[in-house]
Amino acid sequence: MIPLAVICAVPLVVIAVTVLGAVVALATHLDAADLAAVMANEETLFAIGLSLRTSLVSLALALVLGIPAAHLLARHRFPGKAVLETLLDLPLVTPPLVAGVGLLFLLGRQSPVGGGLAALGIDLLFSPAGIILAQTYVAASIVVRTARTAFQEVEPAYAYMAWTLGLSPGWAFLLVEVPMAARGLATAAVLGWARALGEFGATLMLAGATRMRTETLPMAVYLNIASGETGLAVACALILLAIAFALLLVVQALSATRPGPRAA
Amino acid sequence: MTAVLLENVSCRVLASLSLTVADREAVAILGPSGAGKSTLLKVVAGLLPHAGEVFLDGQPARARAPHGRQLGYLSQDLHLFPHLTVAGNVRLALLFGFDGPERRRDRVDEALHLARADHLAARRPATLSGGERQRAALARCLARRPRLLLLDEPFSSLDADTKRLLWADVTEVRRRVGMTALIVTHDPEEAAALADRVLVLRDGRLTSDGPWQGNGVPPDLRRSGSIGPE
Repeated sequence: MIPLAVICAVPLVVIAVTVLGAVVALATHLDAADLAAVMANEETLFAIGLSLRTSLVSLALALVLGIPAAHLLARHRFPGKAVLETLLDLPLVTPPLVAGVGLLFLLGRQSPVGGGLAALGIDLLFSPAGIILAQTYVAASIVVRTARTAFQEVEPAYAYMAWTLGLSPGWAFLLVEVPMAARGLATAAVLGWARALGEFGATLMLAGATRMRTETLPMAVYLNIASGETGLAVACALILLAIAFALLLVVQALSATRPGPRAA
Repeated sequence: MTAVLLENVSCRVLASLSLTVADREAVAILGPSGAGKSTLLKVVAGLLPHAGEVFLDGQPARARAPHGRQLGYLSQDLHLFPHLTVAGNVRLALLFGFDGPERRRDRVDEALHLARADHLAARRPATLSGGERQRAALARCLARRPRLLLLDEPFSSLDADTKRLLWADVTEVRRRVGMTALIVTHDPEEAAALADRVLVLRDGRLTSDGPWQGNGVPPDLRRSGSIGPE
């Protein structure tokens, strides 16, 4: 009789080998000299810079929007909450390309919203602002979901205790609830950042794929594969992989050291 | 002078309850589990919506948010903030309304000293024993020198010796500082040790008002020390 652990190990190995195979295939596609050359390429450096700049702005926006929203969802019950939560989770399960099309129609000059913004001189589409919008859209969703769980793990009684100690609900939130949920919020930030860095579909729709203008790292992979410049595409893919791997390690470290908010 | 006045207070578990506590008086509320003891304290602290009126120092409390009620709340679970040291916990209570870091530092030292928790200042709550945590929470509770102390079975998880030490300390501090206290407990001995007057709360109603006679509380009383809206 084959032990269950052995049976379960087979699919595990299949999955791990597939993932590893893809990574190794990418990593060995270029030799070190070629890799160094394409890494120093102006286009690669532009893509790295743009990706980092836009994703950090998007992360900041996602945190500013997502953390208060997550706190509200974690602490309050109200009619329609389940529907709202489902709505907020939609970006997690729908292809970003679909979201991008929706946002494009919403913000296009023909729509009342897009037309109104254009009248105010605000043009979000086909510019770095469009990238930030697309990245924030996908990052906010994961920030809300992860931060909501983090706040739910902190007993509300800690905030009530802070109120009785003279802290207003706002100060209790900042000085008690946020620090107590800090590890979960840090995880939310890391996951949100990773999501923003890797965003492609919605960015393509909202910002377009223009070399040296809206060329983030995922966009650089797409553009260079499409134009046959495999070396550049692989270099950008490897950078994305390395960043994603590092961010996942941070999440693992945060989870491993996570004692949770203890009653004290 | 009346420190606490409840007039026809009703909520989910309290039924048209009225209560008067004089200034500097300590009143214990005894009662079985589910009688509404903790709810009564939460109403006074402003943590629960209710019908009827609550007056603190003669003023209607309804207009004052919980953080503006100038009271000290000590719950069974204590809820020391785990990300802060004991001194940090005490300092947080002094963040507003106390001028200057020096005065705040003096107040922190004073509160720690009052609760005999000076030696715990630099420790994190997770490293404290049960009795030490009670002292840390007491120091935090006393830091603002509240006029009203609300004690929600804070000593129920302690061994008898530690409990008696803390009863004596709390009573001494309360008298020295001149605080009014409302104490809920299921332990008649604790009620007698801490309070000047003992009331019994059963099914949301106060059923006796006078010296504790040792009857009326069933033996199956269980702890209920959580704080906050239910």
